[in-house]
Amino acid sequence: MTTRPKPPTLGRDQQTLLVAVVVVVQAVAAMFFMADALGDLSEAGLTRHVVIEALVAFALVAGVVLGAWHLRILLAQAERREQALIVARGALSDHINTCFREWGLTAAESDVALFALKGCDAAQIAELRGAAPGTVRAQLSQIYAKAGVSSQAGLVSLFLDELL
Amino acid sequence: MEHAVHTRRRWDPIVKLTHWGIVAAVIGNAIVTGEGSGWHIWVGYCLAALLALRLLWGLVGSREARFSAFPPSLARVSTHLREIGSGTVVRHRSHNPLGALMAYAIWATLLVVVGSGIVMSGPPPADPWAVSGEHGEGGAGGEDAEKDKDGDDEAAARIPGAIGNLVIAPALADEDNEAGMEGEELYEEMHEIAVNLLYLLIALHLAGVLFETRRSGREVVGSMIPGGNRRN
Repeated sequence: MTTRPKPPTLGRDQQTLLVAVVVVVQAVAAMFFMADALGDLSEAGLTRHVVIEALVAFALVAGVVLGAWHLRILLAQAERREQALIVARGALSDHINTCFREWGLTAAESDVALFALKGCDAAQIAELRGAAPGTVRAQLSQIYAKAGVSSQAGLVSLFLDELL
Repeated sequence: MEHAVHTRRRWDPIVKLTHWGIVAAVIGNAIVTGEGSGWHIWVGYCLAALLALRLLWGLVGSREARFSAFPPSLARVSTHLREIGSGTVVRHRSHNPLGALMAYAIWATLLVVVGSGIVMSGPPPADPWAVSGEHGEGGAGGEDAEKDKDGDDEAAARIPGAIGNLVIAPALADEDNEAGMEGEELYEEMHEIAVNLLYLLIALHLAGVLFETRRSGREVVGSMIPGGNRRN
């Protein structure tokens, strides 16, 4: 999260803050208008001035309610986006593990397959796992066979396909 | 439950703005403005608006801010107390059960303060500088009302009480006036008692926040301060 570019989320935060500030100011204004209209009403009765004041007060109150509603939607959207991101991150790794299990990969094969997905070639995987390159190549061909693909690119595209 | 608290707790901007706005209004009316002055009434109305907005937000607001997220429940409180006793820290997205009770108590008290204040002051004066209303009398009509009362008292005094039934109308007016005066005093009492209760609740609230911060970390405070608990 720290290395991610921040501007978009900051912009959204500022947007919700701005709407919230407007709603608060509107609420205060609505309160004064309503109190004033009620005061005038009890003093002068139902004059045209009071009717207009009451209309303005009503509009302000309606604005506050709608503004609050709008803000709720903004906040809910932000939360959903955040949740979706978390789910997407977790979901991909869950999905990969499920596939490996379904294909019947052994623990060692799963490790090798994960490296392969991350773009390592047989020599690199052998080095990383401290195994002989021949062993890794054998494991890779086992993996491709179980997954029903013919190359590393085919293996990667299986998962890329899910995302596109 | 586990993944429900992935994200750090942060109150939404309406909750923060109304909270700190009400804090400012309470401090302002406790220390800065004169009792019953025009500005006192204006600040009181601002507080009323913020409180109304927060209560509206409790109905239509964000998930954590809605009343349904923190129902006042003694069962939850007793569970919470047992957790405190056994030292287990459960994170709550909204108020914890004790905090919820505190929130409702403070809102109820604020409603009494605002209600009694509005009854005493009437609508906000057009020019807050013009009203320096003395203690309790409040509102632009303060002096006039007093004069009226004096006038009525004199009028009542001029009518011999012995006539009794024959002067029903003035007698009634007199009674009304007396009731009004008693009402005024009643509201003044209410206002003062509620305000003192409010101070007590604020002290308890601060103590609660301090306690919860020591018990379960800085997040409690961070969730309410501007820019606090940012996720990075």
